[in-house]
Amino acid sequence: MNVENKRQMFHIIIGLVAIVVLTHYGKGILMGAVFFTIIIGLLMVNATFLGRKIRLVEWFKKRLERSNVPFPGWGSACYAAGVLLAASFLEDQNAIIATLIIMALGDGMSTLIGKTGQIKLPYNRKKTLEGSIAFFAFSLFGYFFVGPEIIPIALAAAFVESLDIPFDDNITVPVVTTFLFLVI
Amino acid sequence: MDIITEFAFNIKNDTLTSVSLLINDNIVFALLVLALLFVAERRNEKRLKVIIALVLVSVFTFAIKAAMAIERPCVPLGVAYCPEEYSFPSIHAAVAFTLMIAFLDKKQFPLFLLFALFISFSRLNLAVHSFRDIAGAMPIALIAYYVVDVLWRRYWNERGK
Repeated sequence: MNVENKRQMFHIIIGLVAIVVLTHYGKGILMGAVFFTIIIGLLMVNATFLGRKIRLVEWFKKRLERSNVPFPGWGSACYAAGVLLAASFLEDQNAIIATLIIMALGDGMSTLIGKTGQIKLPYNRKKTLEGSIAFFAFSLFGYFFVGPEIIPIALAAAFVESLDIPFDDNITVPVVTTFLFLVI
Repeated sequence: MDIITEFAFNIKNDTLTSVSLLINDNIVFALLVLALLFVAERRNEKRLKVIIALVLVSVFTFAIKAAMAIERPCVPLGVAYCPEEYSFPSIHAAVAFTLMIAFLDKKQFPLFLLFALFISFSRLNLAVHSFRDIAGAMPIALIAYYVVDVLWRRYWNERGK
């Protein structure tokens, strides 16, 4: 399995773990756990910047990290920030679960399926139509938690994920999803 | 009140309360943040970038406060120092986290981390914020600094061409 596939599998598993923590222990515990994970993670990233070798960071770098990122653990930091954004901004637990499903299953499966796709998107030749359809289809699992309002939100998130913009989709997807859940 | 907010609020210490009340003043806090930035960072270019991020974070946070309209935990307590604006998210924490992230690759980072955690704790200690407000401030700071950083790099790369 290549790095990108491992990365997406890792994000899917972390997203599902976050859903389990949320449903079993509540929003407060999820926010606390993610908040302090970010703090510890940033301390480790800082130590790496200062030239120290930390096993966990090295492991991430070798197995799960893209090569062109601002710092090691970048993808995970963005993902954790996205989870914290949804958990802190949204009151409704079901909306948080639907956001986590979009981030984990939608985004994860779009990469795994999209890489084998044949039809390039006209506005972004790096992404495929199959990937965007997979994003939308797997995000629809959120229907079991929020009902039909998942449809426009999943569509918007799939569209944002497919854009060729200089911002990480682990940030743009939860921002758009959280915003839409607040507005709709 | 959640467990973390309640724990921080129940710590009673006169010195801590005095310092927390001093930081509660927006002007004192802004001057403190700028002083820390100017002492720790010598490069004017980086100072400007951080100030832009701090302004962006403050504007974002202020707008979100008005839009979400969540009451502060200190309102039912009836304390005199309780600010009039809404609670979520904490501007103090968002600004402190932004400053902290700006020094992620520097050896001063742990000090800025402690500063941000102390500021967050002081907000909980006064009950002017709940832990949710602090947690919400963290992604805002990360995202705002990231956006400024991406646009800044593009701008400087364009200028270099």
